[in-house]
Amino acid sequence: MHDRAASRYHVGMLRNTADSWGAPAKWFHWVMAALILAQITLGVMAVSWRLSPTKIELFFWHKSTGVLILALAALRLLWRLANPAPALPSGVPAWERAAARSSHLLLYVLMIALPITGWIVNSASNIPFRIFWLIPLPAIVAPDKSTADLVALVHRGLAALLALVLVAHIGAALRHHFVKRNTVLMRMLPGAWRTP
Amino acid sequence: MKEIVAVLGLCGLLLAGAPHPAQGADWKMDPAGSRLEFIATFEKTPAPGVFREFDARVRFDPNKPAGGSLDVTVKVTSADMNIADVNKEIRGKDWFDYAGFPQAEFRSADLRRTEGNHYVARGTLSLKGVKQPVDVPFTWTASADGATMEGELTVKRGAFGIGTGEWAATDVIGADVQVKFKVKLRKAG
Repeated sequence: MHDRAASRYHVGMLRNTADSWGAPAKWFHWVMAALILAQITLGVMAVSWRLSPTKIELFFWHKSTGVLILALAALRLLWRLANPAPALPSGVPAWERAAARSSHLLLYVLMIALPITGWIVNSASNIPFRIFWLIPLPAIVAPDKSTADLVALVHRGLAALLALVLVAHIGAALRHHFVKRNTVLMRMLPGAWRTP
Repeated sequence: MKEIVAVLGLCGLLLAGAPHPAQGADWKMDPAGSRLEFIATFEKTPAPGVFREFDARVRFDPNKPAGGSLDVTVKVTSADMNIADVNKEIRGKDWFDYAGFPQAEFRSADLRRTEGNHYVARGTLSLKGVKQPVDVPFTWTASADGATMEGELTVKRGAFGIGTGEWAATDVIGADVQVKFKVKLRKAG
């Protein structure tokens, strides 16, 4: 039964276990981390740039990246729902577990809500847009300036909230590693999946 | 009786003196059935707009296009791209410069048939203070209550200084602007 053992090992690398993240979960985590940081930078630059071709380019990349993030977030959410998250170490107090759970939930909500509010702003502004110059993005609301202005405000508010939650998320990960000296940060690192 | 003869005579005189229809008939535009669109590109995606106010005066006989003429005046300030921020921006000096050049014109006295009901008007487009020779191809379709001219052409925005300075670069806002028109005409007079 050599083959069965091999295939079980392979599946074990992909799926999360009780105390480790599988490769897809890590891939989603780090690819989206990089995209989200780039996205926040692009968004801040786009709104603050004076009107010029550069500003339009910044918005173009911000919008294209946003659609990519939305697609990845949907896949990641499915993967997360189909895979139990590894448990926190036994010594973690209840309030920290609650904080971790609710901040992770909030991150998922924001990964979906930010692209969708951005999409609404683009639709309401009636600005023609093709994702990475390729796929026309259909409008999800009718053109209306006041809708565009209002939802743009919501979009910026959610982005500020995301920045706060990310600071807490990164702070908590560093605290797990350097203060509590547990494996919570290490087990998300690429290549560390073999560590029990 | 004398009076009646005199009145009839006067009528006959008036009829005889009435202007004889010229070979190229005069046509007036019906604004309600007419449309002038321009389609720019924005990040390689079509960005359509319209000129809401324009007028065309046409002297044209589809069977004898030579001798005809086409005069179109466009109120540039009636441009509408249906995006609030863009509509505000195109008023400025870098784009249409509403203050300096509120009107554009196309004049042609050189109309030719290319094939069937396809024609071309060779003329001069005056836009934002620049005059350039432009060929306007069109089709002519007669109907019970008049005729319809339809056509499209591509204009290089750079030739007319539409988008100057840093906007002259064509990677974000494309160089080509497609112009489409449908002009509903009624016989004048």
